[in-house]
Amino acid sequence: MKFRSPPMPSAEMDMTPMMDLTFQLISFFMMVTNFDQTQIDERVRLPTDALAKPPEVRVEHQLVVNIGYKRAKDGTRLDPQPFVFLQGEELRIPEYRSRLQQEARIYQAKEVNLNDVTVVVRADSDVPTGNVQEFIKMSQDAKFEKFTLRAQQPID
Amino acid sequence: MKIKQQAPASLQQQTTPLIDVTFQLLTFFMFTLRIVGPEGDFNINMPPPGAGAAKSEILPDIKVQLLADVNGNLASLKLGERQLGIGPGAYQLLNAEILKLVGGANAARSTDIEIEIDADYNLHFDNVVKAIGACTGRLGPDGKTIIRYVEKIKFAPPKANPDA
Repeated sequence: MKFRSPPMPSAEMDMTPMMDLTFQLISFFMMVTNFDQTQIDERVRLPTDALAKPPEVRVEHQLVVNIGYKRAKDGTRLDPQPFVFLQGEELRIPEYRSRLQQEARIYQAKEVNLNDVTVVVRADSDVPTGNVQEFIKMSQDAKFEKFTLRAQQPID
Repeated sequence: MKIKQQAPASLQQQTTPLIDVTFQLLTFFMFTLRIVGPEGDFNINMPPPGAGAAKSEILPDIKVQLLADVNGNLASLKLGERQLGIGPGAYQLLNAEILKLVGGANAARSTDIEIEIDADYNLHFDNVVKAIGACTGRLGPDGKTIIRYVEKIKFAPPKANPDA
């Protein structure tokens, strides 16, 4: 007598629901990702104010400068002096003078009027105001004229 | 002669590369996501040195003075010669006083008023932002629109570093 062996169950998994979910996750992350934040340095703890509303009109030319402290994981300062954080580099505020002049020359080479460039100061809430004013003075020496101070909206 | 029929080609597509790329994209977006509160700007009016703007005789600048203690915290907030105290109450008082100063004025006049922030060198920057916020205006009843009191805010000339 012949015995028939039962058919082998398929080893292939149905991937469709997993792919659906993955694409939904990708869509979500794409929506919430803001590529404007590339100039933001996370070490800077911005001051908070309820009136700090994002600008309604997008500024065409802006130079974002992050001024803050090097901190340990628990938030304590590793250096008492503030630094300008510049994409991997950490410069003392007076050392940034030559960079500012370089930035001004780059804008001028691109035929951008420096009056149209806004210098966005992202300064840590603990930075002495005198340092921020020194930075603004340095920028004025490099012929920048428009300045904005950045703050964060309080999170409820 | 018997002709053998070819077995039909498999219709199943190879999905492994697609899944690989999808997971790589998902990982990229997950790692680049930064959850931060929305940021906003306060414009400050800082004409270059020497470019003396014509000052109004009728509307002199309003001076807000912020004095710091040795730790950089706010020791005193003054509007002109008037002491407003310290702490959050001082900023609320400053906001109310600025409203009084511009309250009777029409919109065109309030745009002419300029506030000068005179802060000590060591004062923590968040105090200056709070003072600028208090001078700028307040949030409307809907909690979204800003009712502006003053458009022009500038810094007084920087003070010398006391530790230098």
